[in-house]
Amino acid sequence: MKTDVLIIGGGPAGLNAAIETASRGIKTIIIEESYALGGQLKQQTQFFNNLPKQFDRQRGIHLMRTLIDRLSPLPVTCLLKHKMIGVYKDGRIGIANDTETFPIDAKKVIVTTGAAEETDLFPGWTLPGVMTVGAAQILINRERVLPGKNALIVGLNSFSAEVTKQLKACGINILGVIDKNVSVNDKKLVDGLEDKKIRVMVNTVIERATGAGEVEKVTINNDGKKEDLDIDLICIGKGLSPILEPLEILDCEFGFQAKLGGLVPKYYSTLGTSNPSVYVAGNAAGITCLGGILVTAEIAALNALKALGVLNDNEAKISSSFLWDELRSMESEESIETFIARVAHIKEFHEECELPLPASFHAILEGC
Amino acid sequence: MYIDHHPILENHGNDQISFFYDGTPLKARQGQTIAAALMMNNIRKFGISRKLRQSRGLFCANGRCCSCFVTVNGLEHVLSCTTLIEEGMEIKPNTGDPDVRGGIHEN
Repeated sequence: MKTDVLIIGGGPAGLNAAIETASRGIKTIIIEESYALGGQLKQQTQFFNNLPKQFDRQRGIHLMRTLIDRLSPLPVTCLLKHKMIGVYKDGRIGIANDTETFPIDAKKVIVTTGAAEETDLFPGWTLPGVMTVGAAQILINRERVLPGKNALIVGLNSFSAEVTKQLKACGINILGVIDKNVSVNDKKLVDGLEDKKIRVMVNTVIERATGAGEVEKVTINNDGKKEDLDIDLICIGKGLSPILEPLEILDCEFGFQAKLGGLVPKYYSTLGTSNPSVYVAGNAAGITCLGGILVTAEIAALNALKALGVLNDNEAKISSSFLWDELRSMESEESIETFIARVAHIKEFHEECELPLPASFHAILEGC
Repeated sequence: MYIDHHPILENHGNDQISFFYDGTPLKARQGQTIAAALMMNNIRKFGISRKLRQSRGLFCANGRCCSCFVTVNGLEHVLSCTTLIEEGMEIKPNTGDPDVRGGIHEN
């Protein structure tokens, strides 16, 4: 199989990148390990306001529909239930499903693998009934199954707070949301939960979870004061980290950026990595908001198109500077620290490679 | 338990399918994953870890953590969170290391 662009991962970033490349008539293949496109949008019932200008305010699941509808008339092949499993010596990408393995010869690869949820470690964390907040959200919104009746939520952040409210709206009794530290920035989240009569406990950790075959009880420790709760569900919301395996297999170099979620691939202002045929976008390029996921996908696709000779320098320059402004605005709305870390990450890699940053990028640097 | 009336989303169709868990006939909804079909029937323990022999069930629901393995129609170590339930499927809990696959996979 041959293609101009191969996209690894059919979530919001992969879909939006494919829309950009395929709408220019460029042959594009998306491989997606799940049985359906959409990634984590499949179960996001909350509204997203802070999106690129071509998208109205809408629920995540509707945005997934919007993206798939825009993609469907375009020359894109979507290989569902296919995984990238390696790289052949000649550079072709090894793809497998349940029955066969085959190579794809791609001129450019855009890695949009997204992110995985972090866990929290305490005795009993592997018991059935202990799961990530993302898993609980999948169960209620995608599978329509209640994961439990009485829940404790560990970790306070905007995602865990949102899912907590969704679980409560489905009738689950929330015994509390606990976290070790809560910063001043989280005040709004705490107020939002308390408005819904959900108890928030700071300086609180799980001492242990117990149960016969599945979780039945949890002991929490609030500043030395211990309390036992009868629960059948513990949801862990400890944030996200980028999914990097395909980038490792593709010999990309990595750097550490705490504000981008830890280890992230090094990349230029083009979102091209140290492997000249590989670009990265979405949460795989650093944990960001949905708007940031969509815009980085456009930036990576644009630069892949430029490298393929589809766009001329001037076209690429104008679009690129527009997109970077949009990215700054999206990420500033949620957390300016993400944008600052991203720009620092890019600057470091350009310096390491002694490659000057494009003139248009200097204004961005000054803005940080 | 199945959510009949979701606070935001429209109701799904009522297409029910039948499957077996450890020989017991159970019902699921069309389009659900195996993990969800089991949890809807209040089965949350899917198996036992190989080394520490501890209970395991759904954890990440995204095919990454490998906590939710089950045996499907004789094939061991199938991720129940990313495999859709099908009519007549025979699901068994994951109780240990697989035998070398027999049948068509022999040799």
